[in-house]
Amino acid sequence: MTLTVTRRALLVIATSAAMLGIAHADQLDDIKKKGELVVGVLGTDEPNSFIDPKTREIVGYEVDLAKAVAQKLGVKLRLKQLAVAARIPELQQGHVDVLAASLTHNKEREAVIDFSLTTFVTGQKVLVKKDSGIKALNQLAGKKVVTIKGGTQEPNVRKAVPSVDVVTFDTGPQAFQALQQGKGVAFVNDEVSLLDQYAKLGPTASQYEILSANLSVEPLALGLRKGETKLKAQVDGALRELEANGTAEQLFNKWYGPSTRLKFQTRSFKIDSDQVEG
Amino acid sequence: MPHLDFSVLLQGQFLDWLLAGVRLSLTLTVLALVIALPLGTLIALARLAPFPPLRALAWTYVEAVRNVPLLAHMLFWYFAVPELLPDGVKAWLYAGNVEAAAALAALVVYTAAFVAEDVRSGLRSVPPGQWEAAKSMGLRFAGSVRWVVLPQALRATVPPLISQTLNLWKNTSIATVVGAAELMYQAQRVESATFRGFETFAMATATYLGVSMLITGAGVLYQRRYPVRPAGH
Repeated sequence: MTLTVTRRALLVIATSAAMLGIAHADQLDDIKKKGELVVGVLGTDEPNSFIDPKTREIVGYEVDLAKAVAQKLGVKLRLKQLAVAARIPELQQGHVDVLAASLTHNKEREAVIDFSLTTFVTGQKVLVKKDSGIKALNQLAGKKVVTIKGGTQEPNVRKAVPSVDVVTFDTGPQAFQALQQGKGVAFVNDEVSLLDQYAKLGPTASQYEILSANLSVEPLALGLRKGETKLKAQVDGALRELEANGTAEQLFNKWYGPSTRLKFQTRSFKIDSDQVEG
Repeated sequence: MPHLDFSVLLQGQFLDWLLAGVRLSLTLTVLALVIALPLGTLIALARLAPFPPLRALAWTYVEAVRNVPLLAHMLFWYFAVPELLPDGVKAWLYAGNVEAAAALAALVVYTAAFVAEDVRSGLRSVPPGQWEAAKSMGLRFAGSVRWVVLPQALRATVPPLISQTLNLWKNTSIATVVGAAELMYQAQRVESATFRGFETFAMATATYLGVSMLITGAGVLYQRRYPVRPAGH
């Protein structure tokens, strides 16, 4: 008797598990059912996603892209702030539907998540204090460099200068503060983030310079859970539309263009491919 | 439940990173304990001293430190305190492992406040008659403490100090926020490189748990060998 009860219980558990599996088979349907798209952002990386000091809202280039995607799906947008190191785990565990978090698209990560079309192309560079006398990457050998936890910065700088000593922090501003205090000789980050912080320095900017050498080329994209092909098609579709109707260009100018702190004169990329070089 | 695969983590560099992390975590624990125990004991004695300003100072220290989260202590010791040092000392400190040094300072200051409270409780568990007996032998405050009260108090203090050591061991994990390369920092590094978060943090957790068990075991052994003896009433 008890055995059959146990069996029945197991059967119930098994069927409900199977039904859950079916319910989660397609993320796009789930998002439409919920009526909201949860997008993971950093909120600490100007101008991709950062907190507007006036409105206390998270705004930025990637936030605008996320808005366009949510609009395309016909659902509300909910932003969730994430730490750099937590981005991929949070996506894998389904705490967010999509990542719009200064996420580099590279081959290593393709094994664990999918990527949208490339939404931005930047390089990783090194910001140094002028009085450190460092002019080239190889002078970083044996020196202490600060950067952000859980991104591509640390592996990239170690690849370029194997003997470098790296110290990582939770956010870009924290790492930058450590550099300003002289706790390292250089700060490694995406070029756009470096330029932004450099522009914020004001008069003290003259004490710093960004080395011309590129550590890497970083194609940034939105991150998606593996195998959600229908959702990816919708996300990519939304991005293609932005490119086709000129909005992508406008957004680039709004956040990066000549009238911003970053003063990029032209856009060197188009949102049209989800392929990266290995 | 994702498919678990630990083999990636047991290869050369990832295992080396984790082991380096364990080493620093243990080093921080041992050094902080060695410094915080005598410091905390001194603070506890200051709280019972027959000199009111000293008592007030010790009380202020304990309350100010205990009521602020360790995370705030860490950030304070890393980003604020070194900036106040003279340039020469600052340069020397920044040339070395300032991350570990700041983490150690925060752990010492924080742990000492808790140790002080435990030692104070131990001192108060010694019956007043013992103080009086010491005084009648012609001992002053310092002598009474050293020869009569403290030896009895410390025995009673061992069990709470063991639990304080456990807290300290777990608290070392907060040092990751100031870039000290302890176990949690290295676990995050391995996770970023391998995308094996479950396995990495399972290993880190098992390590924290294992060392915690050892500390508890040591405490049990000590108490068997030297049981707390209530002073004669």
